[in-house]
Amino acid sequence: MTAQGIFQVLASGLLMGLIYALIAVGLSLIFGLMDVVNFAHGEMLMLAMYAAFGLWAISGIDPVLLMPLVVAAMAIFGALVYLGIVRYAMRAKSNAGMVQIFATFGLAVLIQGLAQFLFSPDYRSINGSFLAGKTVNLLGVFLPAPQVFGGVVSLAAFAGLWLLMTRTDFGKALEATREDQGAVALVGIDRNKIFALGWALGAGLVGLAGAVMAIFYYVHPQVGSGFALVAYVTVALGGFGSVFGALAAGLIVGLVEAATTLVLPSAMKSMGVYVLYLGVVFFRPSGLFGRL
Amino acid sequence: MNRREVLFGGAAALTLMAGARAASAADEVVIGAIYPMSGANAQIGVDARHALETAAEIVNGVHDLDLPTARTAGLPKLGGAKIRLIFADHQGDPQKGRAEAERLITQEKVTAIVGAFHSSVSATVSATCERYALPYVAADSSSPSLHRRGLKFFFRPAAHDEMFSAAMFDFLDEQKKAGKKIETVALFFEDTIFGTDSSNVQRKLAGERGYKVVADVKYRANSPSLTSEVQQLKSADADVVMPSSYTTDALLLVKTMGELGYKPKNMMAQAAGFSEKAVFDAVGDRLEGLVSRASFALDLAAKRKSIAVVNDMFKARAARDLNDNTSRQFNALLVLADAIDRAGSLDGAKIRDALAATDIPGEQTIMPWRAIRFGADGQNELCDPVLIQYLGGKFVTVYPTGVALQAAKWPMNG
Repeated sequence: MTAQGIFQVLASGLLMGLIYALIAVGLSLIFGLMDVVNFAHGEMLMLAMYAAFGLWAISGIDPVLLMPLVVAAMAIFGALVYLGIVRYAMRAKSNAGMVQIFATFGLAVLIQGLAQFLFSPDYRSINGSFLAGKTVNLLGVFLPAPQVFGGVVSLAAFAGLWLLMTRTDFGKALEATREDQGAVALVGIDRNKIFALGWALGAGLVGLAGAVMAIFYYVHPQVGSGFALVAYVTVALGGFGSVFGALAAGLIVGLVEAATTLVLPSAMKSMGVYVLYLGVVFFRPSGLFGRL
Repeated sequence: MNRREVLFGGAAALTLMAGARAASAADEVVIGAIYPMSGANAQIGVDARHALETAAEIVNGVHDLDLPTARTAGLPKLGGAKIRLIFADHQGDPQKGRAEAERLITQEKVTAIVGAFHSSVSATVSATCERYALPYVAADSSSPSLHRRGLKFFFRPAAHDEMFSAAMFDFLDEQKKAGKKIETVALFFEDTIFGTDSSNVQRKLAGERGYKVVADVKYRANSPSLTSEVQQLKSADADVVMPSSYTTDALLLVKTMGELGYKPKNMMAQAAGFSEKAVFDAVGDRLEGLVSRASFALDLAAKRKSIAVVNDMFKARAARDLNDNTSRQFNALLVLADAIDRAGSLDGAKIRDALAATDIPGEQTIMPWRAIRFGADGQNELCDPVLIQYLGGKFVTVYPTGVALQAAKWPMNG
């Protein structure tokens, strides 16, 4: 392959990595806050993509403009999932970890089944965005406009998240709750409220990822599962609970995946990522930026 | 009439009644259908259900069509018995397929099984049927290895990928003879039995007929991104790109080609995803001129009335036209119904023998075939594949010349 081809593959890997990071950060955030792994994360991504598709199909408005609506809807959904399911799962007297896993896993199965029933298993695509089909040609390296846009949104989301975590009272409350759930209650912070807001934030972020992806990817009831798998590896690689670990790990996963195809047959492209992950497990089990 | 005669008479009457009950027990014939009803290819299963139900409607009712068992209500030799379908979901997983086949046979007492789209699933389901001595009709699984396992209860009315690929290369040879430049091909295939088998045949044929394979890309099915794979195709820039892909990958392939600014000179697909409506709804504008192999030619409806009628019946259920997959599913159930009727029995071995003796002329099917007659391996050799080209928003049959309604546009982007 030519040098141009190699740059193309790496640039695409980088863009995909930013998307992976955006998908993974909500998962990491929720885990960091309350030690709950959300097994319905991929299905939340799928719901967000359907929300974007549905709103576009009904209104005809460009999906880029519909993004805030999708994010808001997913944030409300996330808070409801916490208040309606996870809150109760956390109260389990014994084996709470298992109960949480099965509660969110069950939710995933339910959402997927409902999606297939209500939306049919057909593949949908949004054809109406002004970004669709446009590419930026940088010296023969093609950067598709929707993915570039997705990368910019991802970086902006991480910047916003950083400001939120460091500059606001809510961010401080989040940080405090994740450090010591018991102590925050003593200083008058409602743990339940913080958790619900944490779920809203996590689901809102995956909603953002879904809204961006719907512009350039197809939508169907199983679309989340493939990305969820990547998200779990990303979170584990970056360190469970580390928000910026997710960004770094997302980029690494995207790049390593792309680079693997330069040396190995494409069918084995996820191998590079898992080999890297195994290495991290051996030498730094808490993940690259984990604080376990 | 003395008492003994009354007793005898009563016994005779009872025997007659028992006989009558035995006959009425066969007032329905239960047939299992194994398809992906959930998972990434669930839409295939949903459409297969519509196709098979359309076929059952034709068998069970009275329809003035030149198709086997259409003009009579039910199966006449079984006292007008009706076909009842039971659907099972294999999710594209060979092991789930095997378990579901077992359940259909032992719990639901099906008479025969039709399936399964995925060749990998057809492999396990047909082996299970063989064990229970029950006929399996592979409607739409096209891997050539399937009929080469010495199974006695395996039947495939439609072509396999060697026949399909041979037709593609025949077509290429013909174009070449007409002075078109075709020297290189690029293979692009998914990593399950369908893609691997298909590419093996294509690689072999390309070698034999003097086409250079300049890219040989095996990719992971349902991949989140195909950028580097498409980059390999783009770098090679072959005269013909030959994808063997299911729906998700077909969609992503075409989208990614667009994003990377790659316009293949020609594309010739091993159907599968490239006969699905969803693909053309989403990226049809980029597929103008795509050639795909097919078992079915919808435009033949102009010459054969039954195709148009069946297509209308199917469309009323599924809200889409019959395609390569659904036509084969429909056809498979009719072939099976015809054999069960001729067997006049629900016994697996008798139906198997009747299937082996099948002789349906092409005009009595909805397919553009010469006939349906099975070889000793259960493969129908008389089902000539056709090539269809996507022109102006619909598929037109372009090869072989005998059934073609118009000449192929080649190169497709020319």
